[in-house]
Amino acid sequence: MKKWQQRIGNWLSQQLDLPTDVILELPRITTIGQIHAYVENHKGLISFSDEELRLKLKQGQLLIKGKGFVLRMMLPEEILLEGTIHEVTFIDQTANG
Amino acid sequence: MKITQGVFFTGYTTLRIEGKFPEFFLNRCVENGISVWNVKKIDELTCEANVRLEDVAALKKLRSQMDYKIRFKKRHGLPFLIRSLLKRRSLVAGFVLGMIAIFLLSNMVWGIKIEGVTPEVEYKIKENLEDYGIKRGAWKFTIETPGQMQQKLLADVPELLWVGVTEKGTTYHLEGVEKTIVTEPEEGGPQSLYARKKGIIVDMYVEKGEPAVELNDYVESGDLLVSGAIGREEEPTLVHAEGEVIAETWYKSEVVVPLDVQYEVITGEKETQYGVQLGGLRVPLWGFKEPEFKRMHEEEYNKPFYLFKWELPIGFSSKEISEAELYKESRTDEEALQIGVKQAEMELKQKLPQNSKIIAQKVLHRQKENGKVKLILYFKVHEDISKPQPITQGD
Repeated sequence: MKKWQQRIGNWLSQQLDLPTDVILELPRITTIGQIHAYVENHKGLISFSDEELRLKLKQGQLLIKGKGFVLRMMLPEEILLEGTIHEVTFIDQTANG
Repeated sequence: MKITQGVFFTGYTTLRIEGKFPEFFLNRCVENGISVWNVKKIDELTCEANVRLEDVAALKKLRSQMDYKIRFKKRHGLPFLIRSLLKRRSLVAGFVLGMIAIFLLSNMVWGIKIEGVTPEVEYKIKENLEDYGIKRGAWKFTIETPGQMQQKLLADVPELLWVGVTEKGTTYHLEGVEKTIVTEPEEGGPQSLYARKKGIIVDMYVEKGEPAVELNDYVESGDLLVSGAIGREEEPTLVHAEGEVIAETWYKSEVVVPLDVQYEVITGEKETQYGVQLGGLRVPLWGFKEPEFKRMHEEEYNKPFYLFKWELPIGFSSKEISEAELYKESRTDEEALQIGVKQAEMELKQKLPQNSKIIAQKVLHRQKENGKVKLILYFKVHEDISKPQPITQGD
C-alpha cells in the first residue's frame, strides 16, 4: 500500500514538476558550510547531544554527527542545528531495525 | 530565526530539564506549540533550552503530565528587568525626578550677560529685562524671542543705538552699542555757501561771510551765495561762512490714486489659544473654541523646550486670533484729487530740509484711467538752498 502511494507520488512530482519534498513528505536538509544544518519535514527528535543529532523521518532516521551542537530553533517540523557538522547519514529503517 | 525575534521584549526563560531522554520532553513541547530554542545537552540526563514567558504556563501543565524535573534557571528580557527595577522603587523615582529636574533646569534662564556698554546702561538694561520677565530663574518658553527683546530694549533704553540678543542654551548674551553724542566742532575751517539747486532768493540771513547774491536774484545750482573770503580782493581773510539762504524752488511730482480701495483693519477683539507643539502636531491646552470671526488675522508663536542645549521636538505654542474687518472705500474724483495732493505733499516734505514750507500747489494734469486718477502736480517751496563747501587754501 505504502509502496504504491509512493510510486504515485513519484510519478506526480515528475509529471507536474512539483517539489519532491512536498509530495513525498521527505526531509529537506539545507546546510550552510559546516556550521548550520536546517532540517524541514522531520517527524520528531529521537536523541540529541552536543556531538550527535538523531531525527525521526517518515522512513528511517537522519543522523548528523559533529561537534558542539546547539539547537538554535525547534519547531514542530523544523530544526536549525548549529555547530560543526562532520557527517549526515540516512539510516534505513529496514536495515537498522 | 523568526521565533526569537522580539523575544527580549516579551521575556523568556532558560530551562533545565532533567530526566531520562530529555529530548522526548522537548518533542512534546514542540508538538504542543511551545517553541524552543538554543537547546544544549549538558549530559546524558540534562538539557537546557529557552522558552518564551507566555509558554511557561503550558510548559508547567506538560510537566505535571510527565516525569521530568524542570527548573527555571535564568530569566531574561524586559518584563523581568522592569519587575526587578520596580522592586527598587526609590531608584526609579530618583531617576525620574532627575530627568524632570534636568528638563526644568534646561528651560530656565540661567544667566544674562551684557557686554559693550557702560555700567549705568547695563543696569538700565537689566532693570528693563526684569520688567519683561527676563531674569534668572524665568521660564524660557514664556519670554519673548530675541528679536522682540531687541526691539523693546531699543525703544525703552534711549541710550542704546543697537543691541544684539543671542540665546545660547540657558544664557542670554546681550551686546549693546551706546549712542555717543558727537559735539560738532565750534568753528570749522573756512568755507563758502553755494546753491544746492536753482531758485529765486526770497530771504537771506547771513551770520558770517559776504553775501554774493541779492534778494529776488535767480540762482542756478552751484552758484556762489555767500563767500567766505572777505576783505580786500588781493588779500582776502578767509572765514567760516554761515547763514541761511531761503529761495523759492519748484517741484513737479506725479501721483496715482486708485478710486476703489480695500484694506483690513483689526478691530481689537482677539482670542488667545495655548497649546503644546509635538513635532508638527499642535495639541491645544487652553482656548478650544474657534472664535466666530468673519475675517481673522492669526499670529502664532512657538517656543521649543530644551534638554541641555538640544531643542526638543516639543514646544509651547500660543496663537493669537484677532478679528479683522474689511473696509471698502470708493472715492469720487474730487476726493481722489485731495488724497493725491496730500500724498504728494507728504512725499515732498520728506525730501525737503527741515523748516521748508510749501507755499503753493497747482494741478498741472489730471487723467482718469482704469479706475485710477493720475495727477501731475506742481509745487512752489520756500527752502534753504545753501550748501557749505570748504575753501581750499592756496587755490
